[in-house]
Amino acid sequence: MFKDLDPILHSQLRLAVVSLLIGVKEAEFTFLKEETNATAGNLSVQINKLKEAGYIDVVKQFKDNYPQTMCKITPAGVKAFEQYVKNLHSYLSVDVAKITSRK
Amino acid sequence: MEQENLSPEDSLQLIQSMIDKAKNTVADNSFYFLLWGWLVFSASIIQYILKVVLESPYHYLAWTLMFVGMIVSTLYGVNQHKKRKVRTYVEEVLNYLWIGIFVSYILLGFIFARLGWTNCFPFYMMMYSIGTFVSGRALKFPPLVWGAIASWILAVISTFTSYDANILLSSLAILVSYIIPGYLLKNKYRHMQLHV
Repeated sequence: MFKDLDPILHSQLRLAVVSLLIGVKEAEFTFLKEETNATAGNLSVQINKLKEAGYIDVVKQFKDNYPQTMCKITPAGVKAFEQYVKNLHSYLSVDVAKITSRK
Repeated sequence: MEQENLSPEDSLQLIQSMIDKAKNTVADNSFYFLLWGWLVFSASIIQYILKVVLESPYHYLAWTLMFVGMIVSTLYGVNQHKKRKVRTYVEEVLNYLWIGIFVSYILLGFIFARLGWTNCFPFYMMMYSIGTFVSGRALKFPPLVWGAIASWILAVISTFTSYDANILLSSLAILVSYIIPGYLLKNKYRHMQLHV
């Protein structure tokens, strides 16, 4: 039924992560975990899938001797997200422009 | 959050809720408004008392209080930077704006030290407004915008009044452009945190 919807984005957790990252410059793994209520393991797997698709950049670094994972959406990720929202629009008779314009 | 088949309606709802969450992550900047607001307010009042009441030739030393602000701001800024888990574009732009304003304040001090302090207050009052106005528009917080406009009006008025009166006008300008909006901003963030 949803053949036009990008399978990378059409998953609850991956879509949540991309929707969070679309409005910010960058976010820590812990922020994404808190906001999505996901487990660290599941989130880690989904972030890797987004990274492999080229939708997000992941930088691992150390802050005060603790490992820190920073995530940032890429231009390809922004494009894919916009296309995903456009495709959603074709399934629904609602005006999604309101949502995308708020990012 | 489990993975499952999403309907288009679910997807839209999820996107909406996540964008709303990201929107509410702007850091609480009220600390800087209150710190600098109270320091400038105190320095103005102390200078007025030293100059007009006690007639001390060292009245300008009241402004050494600004060094306290520089040290506290730096320490607080470094600490907050470490704590932040997310960085928004608005925060980044506002950071650069305030760095630019800080450099301009230092330069104004140098310029007036070279050319004389007689007419310094209208310029300082004008400067109070810039950061407040832009922050108010960027954070969609009208009290900051109104405070900035009030301080601009006071800057114009201060060109018609004496240096001594301008010391008091400066304290009034910082009260309306930093201190009052700063407390309102603090309340807003507290309210937002309680309702997230």
